[in-house]
Amino acid sequence: MSPTRIATTLGFLFALFVIQESAVSLIHFPLSGFSLYLAIAISLIAFEDHNGAIVTGFLAGFVLDLSPTSNAPFGQWALILTGLGFLFAVNRDSIADLTSSPITFVIFVAGGVAIALVTYLCFGALLGEQNGSLGHDGRVLLGNTLWTLIFTPIFLPALGRVHEYSLTARERS
Amino acid sequence: MAQGGGNRSRLLLVILLVTALFFITLDLRGVNLTKGSRSVSQTILSPVQRTVSDIFSPVGRFFSDVKNFGKTNAELQNEIAANKLLKSELAMAADSKGQLTQLKAVLDLAGRGNFKVVAARVIARGSASSFSQTITIDSGSSSGIRPYMTVISQNGLVGVVKSATGGSAIVLLMSDPSFRVGTRIARNQSVGVLSGLGSTGYSLVLLDPAGNIKVGDTLLTNGSSGNKPFVPGVPVGVVTTVDDSTGSLTQTATVNSFANLNDLGVVAVIVSAPTTAPTVALLPTPNPVVTVYVTPAPAPLLSPGASTPSAPNVHGAPTPTPSATPTKKK
Repeated sequence: MSPTRIATTLGFLFALFVIQESAVSLIHFPLSGFSLYLAIAISLIAFEDHNGAIVTGFLAGFVLDLSPTSNAPFGQWALILTGLGFLFAVNRDSIADLTSSPITFVIFVAGGVAIALVTYLCFGALLGEQNGSLGHDGRVLLGNTLWTLIFTPIFLPALGRVHEYSLTARERS
Repeated sequence: MAQGGGNRSRLLLVILLVTALFFITLDLRGVNLTKGSRSVSQTILSPVQRTVSDIFSPVGRFFSDVKNFGKTNAELQNEIAANKLLKSELAMAADSKGQLTQLKAVLDLAGRGNFKVVAARVIARGSASSFSQTITIDSGSSSGIRPYMTVISQNGLVGVVKSATGGSAIVLLMSDPSFRVGTRIARNQSVGVLSGLGSTGYSLVLLDPAGNIKVGDTLLTNGSSGNKPFVPGVPVGVVTTVDDSTGSLTQTATVNSFANLNDLGVVAVIVSAPTTAPTVALLPTPNPVVTVYVTPAPAPLLSPGASTPSAPNVHGAPTPTPSATPTKKK
């Protein structure tokens, strides 16, 4: 992953973070909220190759750690999404291609969101954070996964094109 | 590196994980760098959030509105009914607020004069067929109100209690043509009589031929014997025009009252005035005469080392002092 792509990815993720924090979080979704940021970040991780997935995961986590509403220690999201990036990189072949198997891709993204949230909860519990009741956490988890499943197919084609456009000639080959 | 291997990618993973753990450690140790980065992001986000919130809030409620459509419709009907009720209550509250403001002002005025007052609400105005200008108040003899008590509003004199029953009283307004009140001009204490003219204006006739009135002079009640019907010192009005015609013995003037008798909501009846309040006598009292007695000084005793004779004592006391008694020579 070239430094230019790192910079553009970081800028894109930060813009997405602002949209999430200022607009998407205002929508009262039934069941629970939807994290557009997580859905897009994990989609980007899924698009990347091995190193790219790890770096994108770290960048996405780093930006998410900037959230002023977060109670988690700074770096927790970076740790979780870096690990998730590695998981996606290892299972790159299983995820398959967006064009050849879009449903599998969407399921992987939604699963990635769920795994990220569960890991976040687990890390939070280890670090002594107050995460709320089990019912509440379960509802958040279920809602987020469900909304990711619903909304990801909408933005995924556009995101795929943007990702293709951002690749350098070397990366394309 | 599609198959997840390679030392380079493992190294990258380890570096990034260690970096994340480093951040966590820093944060848990309370290093300001991590907290500062969140406050910076808050600084950047807050203006965007404020703007987006203004634009986006109807969209934000979309899902909950759709979900609760039936419930919302029923709630809407309830809200409409509640809104009607609230509107009527709001009108009443506005009325109460106005009355409260007037009451506060009346009590302020009464407090300044150390008057003991009974506050009352104006519940009716005098019948148009009787031609008399009166108001009916909702406090009466059960509250200690008796006829011939002074009635004031937030701005000054309103009138005098004409009659009182258990729970109400009728007040003769100062604009009534039969109304008379002794007043004094605050500037020079000249005394006069103010009469109602049946309208907004009042007529002032000075009692002192040597007194003078100026436009803008403030009039206060002069006070009556036993503070009935008028306590002293209540603001009455201000002189608007002065009649300087040479044909009359005393000056007359037109006065505007301080109290607006058309918007009386709450008034106060002065049930007792302070006994120490200065009541200006209607008739001028003669100047006090001082009598000075001059007595000769006692004769000096001739003795060695005697001092010089003292000056004669001058005093105005009718009771003699020891120095005034004559001294006998031995």
